[in-house]
Amino acid sequence: MSQLENDIRKVFAEVWALEVGTDVPALLPDTILLETGLDSLGFAIFVSSLDEALGFDPFTLAEDAYYPQTFDEFVAFYKRYQPKT
Amino acid sequence: MTPLAQQIAQQQADAVVLGPHGRSLMRGDLQAVGVAPHIGPDTRIAIRLSDPLDVIRALTALDGQVAAILLLSHALPPKTAVALARAADCTILVQDDVAETRDGVAVMMIDDMLGSERRSEPLATAWLMTTSGTTGLPKIVPHTLRTLSRSVSRFAGATAPIWGLLYDPTRFAGLQVVLQALIGGGQLIAVDTAKTLADQVSMMAENGCTHLSATPTLWRRLLMVPDYAKLPLRQITLGGEIADQPTLNALRAGFPDARLSHIYASTEVGVGFSVTDGLAGLPSSYLDKAPGNVRLDIRSGILWLRPPLTALQPGLPGIEIDNEGYICSGDQVEVSNDRILFLGRASGLMNIGGVKVYPEAVEAVVKTVPGVALVQVSAKRSPVTGALVLAEIQLDAGADQTETRLLIIKTCRASLEREAVPAIIRFVDGFKTNAAGKLMRTKG
Repeated sequence: MSQLENDIRKVFAEVWALEVGTDVPALLPDTILLETGLDSLGFAIFVSSLDEALGFDPFTLAEDAYYPQTFDEFVAFYKRYQPKT
Repeated sequence: MTPLAQQIAQQQADAVVLGPHGRSLMRGDLQAVGVAPHIGPDTRIAIRLSDPLDVIRALTALDGQVAAILLLSHALPPKTAVALARAADCTILVQDDVAETRDGVAVMMIDDMLGSERRSEPLATAWLMTTSGTTGLPKIVPHTLRTLSRSVSRFAGATAPIWGLLYDPTRFAGLQVVLQALIGGGQLIAVDTAKTLADQVSMMAENGCTHLSATPTLWRRLLMVPDYAKLPLRQITLGGEIADQPTLNALRAGFPDARLSHIYASTEVGVGFSVTDGLAGLPSSYLDKAPGNVRLDIRSGILWLRPPLTALQPGLPGIEIDNEGYICSGDQVEVSNDRILFLGRASGLMNIGGVKVYPEAVEAVVKTVPGVALVQVSAKRSPVTGALVLAEIQLDAGADQTETRLLIIKTCRASLEREAVPAIIRFVDGFKTNAAGKLMRTKG
């Protein structure tokens, strides 16, 4: 697992704990993000918290709007826009 | 104005509304519905019902039969509903449960109000809408069926649209969809909003939904449903929030054959108008052209509108209207490259996925948290909900960040709507103040 994926999972767990409060659901590559139980506001907070933690937001950086449906697609989207160090 | 029941009777479709739990309303059902004998012509009646089909039955029964209908969201707390009913001089409140009298308002269930009485001479019933807001009692804005249905397009035969209803039918955007379907010659699919969005999408897809209206936030979420492309959409409408270019582009790509419009409307002004070129903002030619007969003017960076019909009179509290009939929208705009672009609300009002939040209301709550020395609340842009509430905090000496953060969230959750609870909390060393020593409000 990449460091980036680890970070994404960590932030997801933090947002989940605060917004939902139940056991954090398993995030498998083909997990449909909408079906995790995070609503629009929860998902918005997740994306914003990732921006605060990682320092970038692919949803804002991407020229064409893209809405990943699975967790795998979500991580790949972040990987694509991760600043090169 | 022909009452709603008669306008529905003139339509061709038999099944007018499909609802949750397999319920449906046929044209005949709605034609037959009237009021009980105890509902007199002077009655002012508030409705607060959770099933959209009941809302539609009540509206059809009451329009033309009573002096006024106050449309209340079932999501309003019971106390607020009674307070609003009293403010609108309603003597009856119709809701899902318990019959009792509260503060002089008779609370009853829908079947206690329905009957077979219909007046031969229909009355000009006032339709009273409420505006959303997070502080104080919502404002009551008077309308009539005529002002509300001014922008309804008429369809017939095979081209008749099948509308999906994702909104609360008692709110302005939802009522527009309902009236469009009921009197514009179409059908309505009222989804069960308690189900997942994927289930709502599949109910609409199975029933051949061709026309759908939602906020940009909801559209972005809908694009994350794996089967969204099964919706046979011919018309996509965005409203309730600023429609941004990335969302418009994503919808264009997702539904290449659908017509794409974004609506500019406000409850105060009644109805607005739509933009169909797929570009964010309004064409600046609208300043000369009066789209949908609504005249536009920009005064000190604020958009003013003059609708051709309004039930508003100068002097209403909270609504700014001049002698020529122009109404202040409160929306800050700038003109750039032949487009009128929306910048946000002049009052600083934030729009969090369609829910309006005043920064001052959040600040007032955060200030009460021990450890908080100063707080400034502003909107942080979000690609998901348009904006999120950002709270910047200067701590008292010795206060702990982690503890204070949790306490802020706990305190805000106890007294604010979920959208108003700060989503992002940042700790800062200090704030800029202006010449008067006030914190400077800046845009996020």
